[in-house]
Amino acid sequence: MLSTLIWAPVLGAILIAFLPQFANSERARQAALVIAIFTLGWTVFLITQFDISDAALQLQETLPWVEPLGLTYRLGVDGLSLPLVAMNSLLVAVAIYSSDPKINRPQLYYALFLLLGAAVAGAFLAQNLLLFFLFYELELIPLYLLIAIWGGAKRGYAATKFLIYTATSGILILAAFFGLTLLSGMSTFDYAALQSQVLPLGTQVILLVTLLIGFGIKIPLVPLHTWLPDAHVEASTPTSVLLAGMLLKLGTYGLLRFGLGLFPDAWRVLAPWLAAIAVVNVLYGSFVAIAQTDMKKIVAYSSVGHMGFVILASAAATPLSILAAVGQMVSHGLISALLFLLVGVVYSKTGTRDVTVLRGLLNPERGLPLIGSLMIAGVMASGGIPGMVGFVAEFVVYRSSFSVFPVQTLLCVLGTGLTAVYFLNLVNRAFFGRLPESLENLPRVYWRDRIPSVVMTILIIFLGLQPSWLFRWSEVTSTTLGALTTRPVAQLTPLAETSTVSFPEISPIPNPVFENF
Amino acid sequence: MVSLTQQPSTHPLADLIHCLESGGALLPDSPNNVLEVVGVLKSYGVVLDAYSRNLIYIAEQQFLVLFPFFKYFDGEISLQKLLRHWWHDRINYEYAEYCMKGMLWHGGGGLDTYLDSAEFSQRIEAAIQAKIGGSPMLALHKLFPDFLPEQVRQLAYYSALGQFWRVMSDMFLELSDRYDRREIRAIADVVAHIRDALVEAAALPITYAVTIKGEVYEIIPKSVGLTFLQDTAVPYVEAVFFRSFPFFGTVSYNAQAHQISDKPSDFSYGALFADPLPVGSAGIPPTLLMQDMRHYLPDYLHDLYMQGLRGEDDLRVKISISFQKSMFCVTTAAILGLMPHPLNTADPTQRQENRTYLEGWMDRLSDSRLADVQDE
Repeated sequence: MLSTLIWAPVLGAILIAFLPQFANSERARQAALVIAIFTLGWTVFLITQFDISDAALQLQETLPWVEPLGLTYRLGVDGLSLPLVAMNSLLVAVAIYSSDPKINRPQLYYALFLLLGAAVAGAFLAQNLLLFFLFYELELIPLYLLIAIWGGAKRGYAATKFLIYTATSGILILAAFFGLTLLSGMSTFDYAALQSQVLPLGTQVILLVTLLIGFGIKIPLVPLHTWLPDAHVEASTPTSVLLAGMLLKLGTYGLLRFGLGLFPDAWRVLAPWLAAIAVVNVLYGSFVAIAQTDMKKIVAYSSVGHMGFVILASAAATPLSILAAVGQMVSHGLISALLFLLVGVVYSKTGTRDVTVLRGLLNPERGLPLIGSLMIAGVMASGGIPGMVGFVAEFVVYRSSFSVFPVQTLLCVLGTGLTAVYFLNLVNRAFFGRLPESLENLPRVYWRDRIPSVVMTILIIFLGLQPSWLFRWSEVTSTTLGALTTRPVAQLTPLAETSTVSFPEISPIPNPVFENF
Repeated sequence: MVSLTQQPSTHPLADLIHCLESGGALLPDSPNNVLEVVGVLKSYGVVLDAYSRNLIYIAEQQFLVLFPFFKYFDGEISLQKLLRHWWHDRINYEYAEYCMKGMLWHGGGGLDTYLDSAEFSQRIEAAIQAKIGGSPMLALHKLFPDFLPEQVRQLAYYSALGQFWRVMSDMFLELSDRYDRREIRAIADVVAHIRDALVEAAALPITYAVTIKGEVYEIIPKSVGLTFLQDTAVPYVEAVFFRSFPFFGTVSYNAQAHQISDKPSDFSYGALFADPLPVGSAGIPPTLLMQDMRHYLPDYLHDLYMQGLRGEDDLRVKISISFQKSMFCVTTAAILGLMPHPLNTADPTQRQENRTYLEGWMDRLSDSRLADVQDE
């Protein structure tokens, strides 16, 4: 069942790429959309099959593949991956819908999009480390090509930088996986088997640091983030939507699944450092966003900042904070997708993203009134205004992290305030005031430009008003995952003994905690 | 030695002064401009007809009705009309009232003087007594003796503006008919048509009477001598084209920071100065007029507008721009109609007086949207 999420888009990609009738741009788009919507519908069906009270992996599929290497085709979904898989299916459909109907080389373009969606879904579903790595690397190829072929003026530079950074990320992750398997003497890369490893804490810390850097590039953690703004600025709008909405989440998902899941003891040791990096991410991302004049860069740096919240909650590693991390991943995915979609419309209609040039776009007759209104809704959501998903996610992040890292949490709260600074600045400059003469004759905005943003806004508000729909899927899984760091350390090594890190007692959250929302 | 030919003007808008002196208009002549101006004036004529009827209806039939719930219904009250009113798919008579209030506030002309005269007070006292005699309202009138007379002054402006627009409406519709008959081909023809109509109607008497309990009360009798051109057209142009009220919602002004002049004569918020591009949300008074006109656009003008990038989306802005162009034609006609001496006079003294007169107008128009309509 889970395989459909991977192989339906792959099959679709092959058909679109090779059948001559899809040389027509509009037909290729429609075909890709049909496959994306089918995948989305299949995801919804899988959600109905998902038992939220079961912490174990569900809907598992196993096929032996290359046994001598320890590679098996093992898929499964739990509360950690389900919301991300669902968001991936949604964003792929949204990205395809919002693609330029007259795009060049449509067969390759839509095939790559479907392939990208399939690879990301595969990475979220993979329960074998090597299989995860394969999907993780597979996703690089379409994304690299999407930036390098359909990107902006400096696309070559941005795509190459992206490739170098993320390939390095892949190598580090592979090194950590190999290290773990070799050192623990296992003959398999299966996640479940490796969870029972009993490596010395020192070794665990080294492996975890390798993973942290590997996934840290993807998230991205400051100072490994420099590929992201370049990639965003040069990527087309649909690519940016997937890049911010899904690709960054692969990093945080990997951290939680493989970092916390496989090395919970080492996680305890590194958590304070991770929380400190989260603070740097939030503050650095926010301050740099304030200094930007390109709307897309502002949104890109806000991503750097907001991914910091996920890191903070992950570092705290309590049941509630892991729930918060998943919530923040979904929230950021929806909000950043919305913001990139809106910036894309502004760019396509005005030809610029420069907030020093743009002005008065809220003009009801000649501006982009609905796009402007949705932008205000989007920045409100990003700034954590109650009633929207951003508030719910950030509130739970702070609520859960404060008990573990009070100072770091308070510093991150400052980041929410700074979000208001750079986004209000953006809205104030670009959307209020009188439309300048240079923008008095903007092309018409059609409903096809608006629909993706409207859908995202509805979801953002719906999940803001009904947060249990955001959290219910992950409660049991996060309780299990959060309990890992509170279990007694099996083997104390000198490193652990000298460690001065102390963890407060964490009581498991009452279940189900969000029923009363 | 005295030159027989007049020296060129040194005014910043000298080009336009020379243009007017040689029979041109404030709006450049082009086929598109003629089409836009005539087309928009046709729809304006239709809307003015409705405004005019309603203003006169309110003045005559809603006399001292202090809570005139159905004043926009012209006496025909039905559920269908009420629902349509609430749905707002209707003529926005509010715009006509804004213009009336602009005139009432800025005053000027013989009407303003007459409304403060003893004769007016005597005449309306009789009408007020007839209307409210024997009702508790009489006590209110005794307590606040200025309240009801001020209401009647306002009703007098309702009536005067209604009568002014009656003439203007017929004139604009006639202009459209002549355009359809291909008699109007240039901006100069448009200006000549308006000027001639204004001159023809100049001496038309402005009167106002109400019937209360079967008896006619003359509020403004013919004997007062109020006329169309000097007592309604000129104050209207002054109030609505030049000064007006700051168009609500278009721009925010801070009066305490002296962003608005202390002297109403310095006001320049009128139709010739208004920014066609609304800032902020919709629903401001100029938009009301454009909203009304969009229902009655002739096909040829609608087709022209549809050629724009935004089609129907910015129709009101396009109408507003065309409307402003047409108002510069009306202003040209008014300037020419009020000229102290004939345009083609050979007398150097008269020519100089004409020149001074035109420079006076150009001083007032220097901050208007005049420069923006010169583009095409």
